[in-house]
Amino acid sequence: MAADLSLPLVAERSFWSTQRIIGVALLAAIVAFAFVTPFVFDGSPTRQSLRNVLGAPTVLEPLGYDHLGRSMLARMSAALRLSLGLAFLSVITAAVPGIALGILAAWKGGWTDRLISLVADAFLALPGLLLVLMFIAIVQDAPWALYVGISLVLWIEYFRLTRSITRALVLSPAVQASQLLGFGPLYIVRRHIWPEIAPLVLTVGAFGAASAIAAIAALSFVSVGVRPPTPELGLMMTELLPYYHEAPHALLQPVVAVFLLILSLNLIAGSNSR
Amino acid sequence: MSNHFIPPVVRTVILPRLAQAVMVALLVGVLTFILVRSLPGDMAYRIAAGRYGYDMVDTAAADAVRRELGLEQPALTALGSWLWDILRLDFGNSLISGAPVIKEIVHQFGATVELSLAAVLLSLLIGPPLGVLAGLRPGGWLDRVLLVVSSGLRSLPAFVLGLLLIILLAREFGWFPAAGHGSASNLALPALTLALGLAAVSARVARDAMLGVAQSPYYAFGRTKGLSERQVFARHGMRNVAVPIVTYLGVQFVYLIEGVVVVESLFAWPGIGHALVHAIFARDVPMIQGTALVMGLMFVVLNTGVDLACRWLDPRVARA
Amino acid sequence: MFGKAASILSVSVGALVIALGVSGPVRAASGAEVFNVVAPFEVKSMEPSTSGDVFLRTGVAETLVDVDENGKPLPALAERWEVSDDGKVWRFFVLPGVVFHDGSNLTAESITHALNVALARSGGLLAKAPIESIAPEGETVVVTLKQPFAPLLAFLAHNTTQILAPASYAADDTVVKVIGTGPFSLGAFEPPLKFSVERFDGYWGEKPAIAKANYLAAGRGETRALLAESGDADYVLNLDPASRVRLEKGDKVDVLSIAIPRTVLLKVNAGHPALKDVATRQALSAAIDREGIATAILRLPDAGATQLFPPSVGTWHNKSIAPLAYDIDKAKALLAEAGWTPGNDGVLERDGTRFAVTLTTYPDRPELPLIAAALQEQLREVGIAATINSTNSSEIPAKHQDGTLELGLVARNFALVPDPIGTILQDYPPQGGDWGALNWSNAEFNAAIDALSRTADASEGQVLRDKAVSILQAELPVIPVAWYQQTAAVSKKVEGARLDPFERSFGLAKVRKAP
Repeated sequence: MAADLSLPLVAERSFWSTQRIIGVALLAAIVAFAFVTPFVFDGSPTRQSLRNVLGAPTVLEPLGYDHLGRSMLARMSAALRLSLGLAFLSVITAAVPGIALGILAAWKGGWTDRLISLVADAFLALPGLLLVLMFIAIVQDAPWALYVGISLVLWIEYFRLTRSITRALVLSPAVQASQLLGFGPLYIVRRHIWPEIAPLVLTVGAFGAASAIAAIAALSFVSVGVRPPTPELGLMMTELLPYYHEAPHALLQPVVAVFLLILSLNLIAGSNSR
Repeated sequence: MSNHFIPPVVRTVILPRLAQAVMVALLVGVLTFILVRSLPGDMAYRIAAGRYGYDMVDTAAADAVRRELGLEQPALTALGSWLWDILRLDFGNSLISGAPVIKEIVHQFGATVELSLAAVLLSLLIGPPLGVLAGLRPGGWLDRVLLVVSSGLRSLPAFVLGLLLIILLAREFGWFPAAGHGSASNLALPALTLALGLAAVSARVARDAMLGVAQSPYYAFGRTKGLSERQVFARHGMRNVAVPIVTYLGVQFVYLIEGVVVVESLFAWPGIGHALVHAIFARDVPMIQGTALVMGLMFVVLNTGVDLACRWLDPRVARA
Repeated sequence: MFGKAASILSVSVGALVIALGVSGPVRAASGAEVFNVVAPFEVKSMEPSTSGDVFLRTGVAETLVDVDENGKPLPALAERWEVSDDGKVWRFFVLPGVVFHDGSNLTAESITHALNVALARSGGLLAKAPIESIAPEGETVVVTLKQPFAPLLAFLAHNTTQILAPASYAADDTVVKVIGTGPFSLGAFEPPLKFSVERFDGYWGEKPAIAKANYLAAGRGETRALLAESGDADYVLNLDPASRVRLEKGDKVDVLSIAIPRTVLLKVNAGHPALKDVATRQALSAAIDREGIATAILRLPDAGATQLFPPSVGTWHNKSIAPLAYDIDKAKALLAEAGWTPGNDGVLERDGTRFAVTLTTYPDRPELPLIAAALQEQLREVGIAATINSTNSSEIPAKHQDGTLELGLVARNFALVPDPIGTILQDYPPQGGDWGALNWSNAEFNAAIDALSRTADASEGQVLRDKAVSILQAELPVIPVAWYQQTAAVSKKVEGARLDPFERSFGLAKVRKAP
């Protein structure tokens, strides 16, 4: 079996595959919607008009109204601004330490590996929900705390994935040859390890951003989390759920936004496949 | 005693996991203790609200709760007595219902395990096979459809997905009960809700892993050697694809807990996620510690299983 | 290649179908005699103090006194009662021929024991009545009071005073079995979400038509509505506004609704520097668009509270007082009169302090945070900055006690005991009440309420009630926002279903179900 395992060298291929172009375009469109809308559309995400509750889209209000008669367009763009920033924050705060520790643990092995793995497992074994709920209860009323609490749970995913892949790679003839040739760890990570873990990490990261938003939605489902009337995608889904029959268009908007976000990230990540 | 008498599996997997179990128990105990005590709000009021509900909670009830439970006990004394009780396998009584914590956990944890196992099995039947097929033909129709569908499933929060399933399969077709628990048919909708979310991720992981394996020289060699697609996959593909999927499975249990809370309250399913959330709201400390401990230990057990599976799938891991 | 893809696909799909199919379309066999009830209330334990409501509602346990639809006391386990001339000694005559579910007889001793346990319970309501002692005397139970207390009968109708058999209690008086006298006995008990009850053949009253009922607690309103629509439930209590409107339009189920004495109100700290003058509180009230809230959030255009009690609570609804109305100009004028001037950011200021307050509420009733959000916006219109803190319900009494509550949005049940005076006495005593007035007291009001708690005379009582209500309306220690309606979705197969305005019963003893 070991003889079979000569890992393929990564073929340098053009960065701009069709899939990736679509992905980047989609992401750019979402970002543009989030940041350009406030300049084009004059509406407040918190101003209510109880006479327009769950109103259908009109020319003046292209996305309709929510359950308190607030402009869905203004709320969607504000929510995307908040959620995009914070979702990326939580992915970065989870991925960077996760990957670094994963490579370190796999590379050094022995006690380093055991120690880091023990910490990671202890974190993972603590119910994530408990951690997040308690963290939020202590640091009240701060949306960022929510996402940082979530990345406390999510980093382990990157750690475990990186560690398991790197562990096999470190033993591979290609890496061992590089080591014999005197290349330093940084070179080996860049040349042999990163190309292998990158597609998986990007995929997991894309889902991680969605997980963070989904976790917030789940938390607001049990009445914890972002304080209303702050527009946030996960919170909006929970708030609009009771009106699924009357105003499916309103409930679907944050769902579609998250869907497009995940799809674009996946398209960007997915085409990195050799 | 020499190492010769201990089988390697025990030495490298079982013993460390046992040590981890002890660590987890200690950590859960101490951490929940510190966290619960640093939570804002008067515990006696929270407990009274948990017991008597929002119509009946008032200062008189909170004062009575404080007297009854002796909440003024110093933190260290309380922690000490909790650890001592755990050593004697005594989890204490719930501050809300007054029933032994262990009894409540058995009922509610059993329900969660039932739901989670059903969900994981279902997701393994759906996700990895589709992912492997997509990975064998990157860019093919299945690959593209799968990307869109898995992104879609992952972006639907569990409560929206669950609601859609109830509306479709319970209200319109009448195949399954909309909610509740007790009979086998009650399991279908909540398990499917969770499974679809899990399968969305495991399909992607399987797809990427398969793609890597399929483009490796040994896989190509297997093909040129004249083996059929099925034989190449069975000999060279299966194990290599299985490792990341199994590794990932260990992590997925984390998601499950988040998903479980929502699914439990949507489907009126008596689970541990629901119990934990209520226990935290009501500051039911013995219940929080008991549920967290059981969840932590369950996690250790599951991961021991994942470790053993990985060793079996990839003997290099055992040698490393 | 494609063939293999298809084969793996079909295997996995097949496995999925099998996995689901095993449990497949075999719906729980629900014979005509089994009745499925769904409600939002979780079952915490067997204690009447924590879960007495569900045992009373499902007809497992009964109380000494029952009430009719207007809240008038009716004989139940006490066939009649007498009160001494000084109003301090009440004698209840035990209904003869009643047996508990374990076959033991209902006696004055067993009633006394159950009531004394309720009296000693920390969460018990009975402890709030001025009771000196409860003792058996022959075939009667004698309740001796420290002072005359007219609402005693209403207190004895409350679910926490339900009568359980002596065998229900362990040595330390914790309840280990629920052995009541009701038309149904407790069957399988699976807290926190489920239990079942079975017809009790030795019941003293009219025997129920249904043999068995299952109770399921479902916290989400959407779930409950879908359970009704899918036919999994026969009787679903408490629909969320959106689902109620949908079910009313459809023809799958019947929707019942009834006005109940529960009011959404804004609890005001009348000692707070910004809220202490009556004019400011009146301005707050005038700034609230009650009709908008009632229409948009509760979906009941008439539910805007123009005074504390809805017209359905006849004796406590005062027809002669001016209704609270939405008038934003009046609100602004009152605020200006009280010395508030607009600051740079549009928020009012007085003596250099901004009019910024925290509005505390709780999500246990899902409409409260929504109403809070609407109020936040309506207060902003007149220059008041409110921050919403949606937290645990216990924060209202906790913050009341330490005096830090500013505004609290609560849904107060005035039928805790069937006579609202029970709740009024708790919430509006001179020193204030956890769920009522905070730092507000009015001598005339106090005198009226005190007299009301002692009098048994109907016309005298009416004068006192009208007076008390009009004082509350003028001074606004709490600002009424909306009235509630209780709703239920009932299967078309069910006959005889009704809603109880005092939320004491699902009416299981009276329903019939067509096969």
